[in-house]
Amino acid sequence: MATENEEFLKRLRATFRAEAQEHLRAISSGLMELEKTLAPELRAQVIETIFRDAHSLKGAAGSVSLKTIESLCQPVESVFSALKKQELAPGPELYQALHEAMDIITQLVEGTEEETSPQVQARAREQIKKLAGMSRKTAPPAGPSEAPPAAGRNISILPAVETQTEPRPHPGKPSMSAETVRIPAARLDPLLLQAEEMISAKMAIGQRAAELQELCRSLDLWRTESAKWKERLSAGPEWNELLEWNETRLNTLIHQTAAVTRSVEQDQRALRRMVDDHLENMKGILIFPVSSLTESFPRLVRDLARGQGKEAELVIRGAEVEIDKRVLEELKDPLIHLLRNSVDHGIKQPAERAIRNKPPLGTIILTFAANENRQLEISVSDDGAGVDAGLVRGAAVKAGLVPQKDAEKMSQDEIGAFIFSSGLSTSPIITSVSGRGLGLAIVREKVEKLGGVISMETQAQAGTTFRLLVPMTLATFRGVLVREEGQVFVLPSVNIERVLRVSREEIKTVENRETIRLDGQVLSAVRLGQALGLPVLRGNPAAADRHVQAMVVTFSGQRMAFFVDEVLDEHQVLVKNLGRQLARVRNIAGATVLSTGQVAPVLNISDLLRSALRAAASAQPAAAAENAKTGKARILVADDSITSRTLLKNILETAGYLVKTAVDGMDAVTQVRSEVFDLVVSDVDMPRLSGFELTAKIRAGKKTAGLPVVLVTALESAEDRERGIDSGANAYIVKSSFDQSDLLEVVRRLL
Amino acid sequence: MKQDQITTGAADKRLILKARARALAQEPAAGAAQDLLEIMEFRLATETYALASAYVREVQPLKDYTPLPGLPPFVLGLINVRGQILSVVDLKKFFSLPGKSLNELDKVILIRNDSMEFGVLADAVLGTRLIPQGTLQEAPPTVTGIGAEYLKGVTKEGVIVLDAEKILDDEKIVINQKAE
Repeated sequence: MATENEEFLKRLRATFRAEAQEHLRAISSGLMELEKTLAPELRAQVIETIFRDAHSLKGAAGSVSLKTIESLCQPVESVFSALKKQELAPGPELYQALHEAMDIITQLVEGTEEETSPQVQARAREQIKKLAGMSRKTAPPAGPSEAPPAAGRNISILPAVETQTEPRPHPGKPSMSAETVRIPAARLDPLLLQAEEMISAKMAIGQRAAELQELCRSLDLWRTESAKWKERLSAGPEWNELLEWNETRLNTLIHQTAAVTRSVEQDQRALRRMVDDHLENMKGILIFPVSSLTESFPRLVRDLARGQGKEAELVIRGAEVEIDKRVLEELKDPLIHLLRNSVDHGIKQPAERAIRNKPPLGTIILTFAANENRQLEISVSDDGAGVDAGLVRGAAVKAGLVPQKDAEKMSQDEIGAFIFSSGLSTSPIITSVSGRGLGLAIVREKVEKLGGVISMETQAQAGTTFRLLVPMTLATFRGVLVREEGQVFVLPSVNIERVLRVSREEIKTVENRETIRLDGQVLSAVRLGQALGLPVLRGNPAAADRHVQAMVVTFSGQRMAFFVDEVLDEHQVLVKNLGRQLARVRNIAGATVLSTGQVAPVLNISDLLRSALRAAASAQPAAAAENAKTGKARILVADDSITSRTLLKNILETAGYLVKTAVDGMDAVTQVRSEVFDLVVSDVDMPRLSGFELTAKIRAGKKTAGLPVVLVTALESAEDRERGIDSGANAYIVKSSFDQSDLLEVVRRLL
Repeated sequence: MKQDQITTGAADKRLILKARARALAQEPAAGAAQDLLEIMEFRLATETYALASAYVREVQPLKDYTPLPGLPPFVLGLINVRGQILSVVDLKKFFSLPGKSLNELDKVILIRNDSMEFGVLADAVLGTRLIPQGTLQEAPPTVTGIGAEYLKGVTKEGVIVLDAEKILDDEKIVINQKAE
């Protein structure tokens, strides 16, 4: 019996959590609203909403006996009761205290903090005291019964009549009518999956229909052939009887088969329509207003800015637009990243803004709009400092993405494109928090995975705008099936410019790389198998052919040809993820189930082009050939302490790198000059030659100028970091903040 | 050789049946229920292993699988389970166990918890049975070659009981590659 009750309470609490999150979001965004200057009526409306939400939350918490949340809601409710009656003048401390209380409640609701933990209890008690004090402090003596916490109970008798026509002045939240059904989204997800699964059934029946048509043709052929024989043969009456009997049977069979084929074709058409409609409708069900995603953003921007001594405000427009929940989920990280980026790099400190005649409060505007092509246009603009084109040029040259002389000629657009390259950061050096140049590359990857595009416009000292264009629903796409080394792969059709056959003589080797000519342009070409690292099949029949099948693949301005054994077909493809164990696999975006039931990997074109470039580059020179064979990058570790040296060596070797060691800077210089390395990890403080001097020497060397250098050090001073930058190091990791993953992450990025 | 295997199989079966009979014959004394652990036994090469049945979603015959390029050898590839795509792990390679390659590997045991799900290769699935938890003994690491952290223990019969939760939660089993 007891367990049954516990089970019930558990279920109840899950329900409570969903409800509470809604209240919390409403309260938080309400608080953000209040902090702006609002018209008095609007203000009263917002206060009323928060008051109600706090009250409902308190009641809900009480009913599932979450006492701490309940007791925290009490003073919040009292504060708003006082605000409503204008017995309390709001101020920054009050808002801060309210935000803090909301934080504790959020943690409790999300279960990141145990309700029973004494620490939380203490924090909650303190917060309750603080808020209770505030709601009482300015309350006039006339209304003492309202202010004390105990009085909160009475508030529940307030008339529940909605005075406004809108139940809540909450952006994007549709009003609940009597015909609305509330179903947890988690229960709809499998339904959508099943609906998508039916695409396989639809394709399978198409396959069956085609097979039946083939069968009909074979039977027809049989009839024609045997009719010819009948004329030629003149046999006895018994034979004739047999032949006639056979003919009748065959005709019946042909008619029956044709009838079945027709019905199957009809069924196929009907099924196709049903599946397509059903899927379209299912997709329509799982749409959410953008506001469900953006509610926490204003708070995020405010907190981020405050943490850096800046002032910033986020204005959201078009949050009522509704889009596919899965697209929305995928947009969360990129948007947060762009906002973070605006606060970090765009908006400057108030003092600096004052110099430029800007108001101290920076504004970031996040706009959502649906266009007629069922796409969502998103823009994130700030009125900050803009992107410094000079810094981008410098970083691009330093990262080896473009030669110095070309960099100077780069247009605004080209600079914009560089911002999204992996490994490019205008922050002068890699530290543990930022500047890895991953951010915008990841944003681009995510947006492109959704089938969207991203671009940037910037004007020095006027601000930066990022524009995103993403589809409003996750769609199936068309994919080209190819066979390479005995395996089937799918490439998105949008990335295939054309499929062609090239004779072997047309493949030319330029600078050790294979190329083909197309419309007068030279394209580098790689075997798909080589780019993917597939084992080469012996006696591959395609290898003997005088012609080679090739595909021209394009991706964000890059073009490259891939040789494959065979291009099989083009299909409608539904991409699925690879399961939880395979979080991310290089070159593979997902997998799809073919109409045969076979699983085929869908290639990630962005990754594939990088792999192809690497495969093409590592295919040749003698020194590099060895690396390509083992596939391991060679790293030189320089450190005078044997402990640190061994530790670094172990970490790197475990991660699969080939590691050599040097006992100090001089030793390292000698080794770097005589052998080929892909990266140097060096200590700063070393006898004979320090890490800074080593870096400078590496940069000065003709052969080694581009070699990435990671400085690992115990020194943590801004001055040393500057020195690191000056000497030309690519990364600077402080040992105190130094953990394995940090180092490995940096190394991976630089290689 | 073949003969040996068959007799081992038969002996195993007898053991299983015996254990089952014993388990069934036992009076369900109060409290005793908590001490029983249901395990699924399977064979990998010459060894018999087991996993707590609570983590087993289902067992599938391994008909066809799709290998993926660039993955560590312990990931066999992808399978299609009624439209859901799942990866299959070869535990022998994951634990770097030595072993003959002439095994049949024709079954996949799908295991899962709240945060992870994948298939585990097996040569044969022997069935499930109840064992008293208390009878599990600590295995000397030399016996199994598997790190002690992945083991729940060894049964009286010498069946190695793996800790499914540990394997499912192991970060080393998750593949998260970056672009080149």
